[in-house]
Formats: sequence, structure tokens, C-alpha cells
Amino acid sequence: MSQPAPRPTNTGPGRILVAVYGIFALAACARAGVQLATRFSEAPVAYLLSALAGVVYLVATLTLGRGGRTSWRVALVAIVIEAVGVLAVGTASLVDPAAFPRATVWSAYGIGYGFVPLVLPFLGLAWLISTRPR
Amino acid sequence: MIWGLITAVANKPPGKAQLLFAAFLELVVVAQSLIAGFRLVTGFRPAELATTIGYLIGIVIMIPVAWLWANSERTRFSGVVLAVAALAVLGMTLRLLELWTPPLLR
Repeated sequence: MSQPAPRPTNTGPGRILVAVYGIFALAACARAGVQLATRFSEAPVAYLLSALAGVVYLVATLTLGRGGRTSWRVALVAIVIEAVGVLAVGTASLVDPAAFPRATVWSAYGIGYGFVPLVLPFLGLAWLISTRPR
Repeated sequence: MIWGLITAVANKPPGKAQLLFAAFLELVVVAQSLIAGFRLVTGFRPAELATTIGYLIGIVIMIPVAWLWANSERTRFSGVVLAVAALAVLGMTLRLLELWTPPLLR
């Protein structure tokens, strides 16, 4: 924080990103909570993945929203996990639909959420690169 | 219908009209959740009870949170923040309608 960063992650367009991440954190966490609480046995893998997605979104929301050097690093890790997650789960859910009897946020690259989950991590990475602290 | 207009209005730079509109939207949403909550209490059961309650709470908190976030740094991006929140309310409302409608169409 002491050194002048090019731009904190929580200003300008970054605020939109934080808002979108916040909504997805809420959506994924709430969804996972309901699923895990009411019918965990139906599709444990899918529901745990929903929960993981929720946590990743939550971490990204908080770190992008806080700004600062450590937050930037944590946000980077979270968003990379998110990118890998959406690509891996998206591909797996298409190649082997039987393994995902219930949808997650990341199924079919986030088709249930207008493909926002697919686009979001790359917007996030682009934003982090342009706000890299140094 | 109403919901579609919201995003169009909210994409303009934030002004008084937009804030009033957001407030109006919030009123509509609160009314909607109260009515739906009342129907739930009086015995109506939608397709997924827990999910429905989650959405009903979610749509109510969405606009105030976005409002605070948009107002803590007022630039042209704050308008987009409100638009994003309105879009989320739209999405959740559509899902609610889906859950609320008896499974005739499914």
C-alpha cells in the first residue's frame, strides 16, 4: 500500500468486477449451501464443486475489493483457480455428463449463467495485470 | 418488462433520476418478496422451498448493497455497478417465476 501502485484493484472498472464477483459469490455459495444441506447424496462431487466455486468467488470479491499488495496476490491465485476450474469442469461436464448429474456453476462453461463464469476469470486476470503493483 | 428498462436507465451516468429509479426498483422488489413471503407462510409451496426463500432474500439485499458500493466511489462505473445488480435481480426474479409456476410446463 505504501508504494504508489499503478491503480488499486478497487477503483474505476475494478468496481464493476467486484460487483459481479460479489453476485457470483452470493449465488454460488447460496446454491452450494442449499444443495449440500438438502440433497448432498444426490451428487456430492457437483455440490462440492459448487461450494469450491463459491469460496473462490468470495475470496476474489474480498481481495479485489480491498486492494493492496497482498490482496492482489491472493486475488491472482483465486482467479487462476477459477479459470482452471471453469475450463476443467466445463470440459468434463461435456465429455462425461454422467459424472455431473447435477449442474454446478461451472457446468458446460457456465451456460446456466449466460457464460459469465467463463468470461469472468479472464476479465479478472486482465484487470489484475493492468493493476499489477510494483 | 419493468426489469428490462432498469438496466437501460442504469447504464447512464449516475444521476438523481437513476437513484430514484433504483429506489423505486427496490420498493417493487421488497413488495414482491413480502407478497411471496406471505404466500409461503399461508401455505403455498413452490418447487424448491429453500431456494425460493434464498432468492426472495437475495433480491431484496441486492440493490442496497450495490447502492452503497456505487456511492462509495462515484464515477461513471458506479452506474454500471447498479446495472449489474439490476441484471442480477432480473435473473433471480426469472428463476423465482420458474420455481413459483406449477410444473405444468416442465
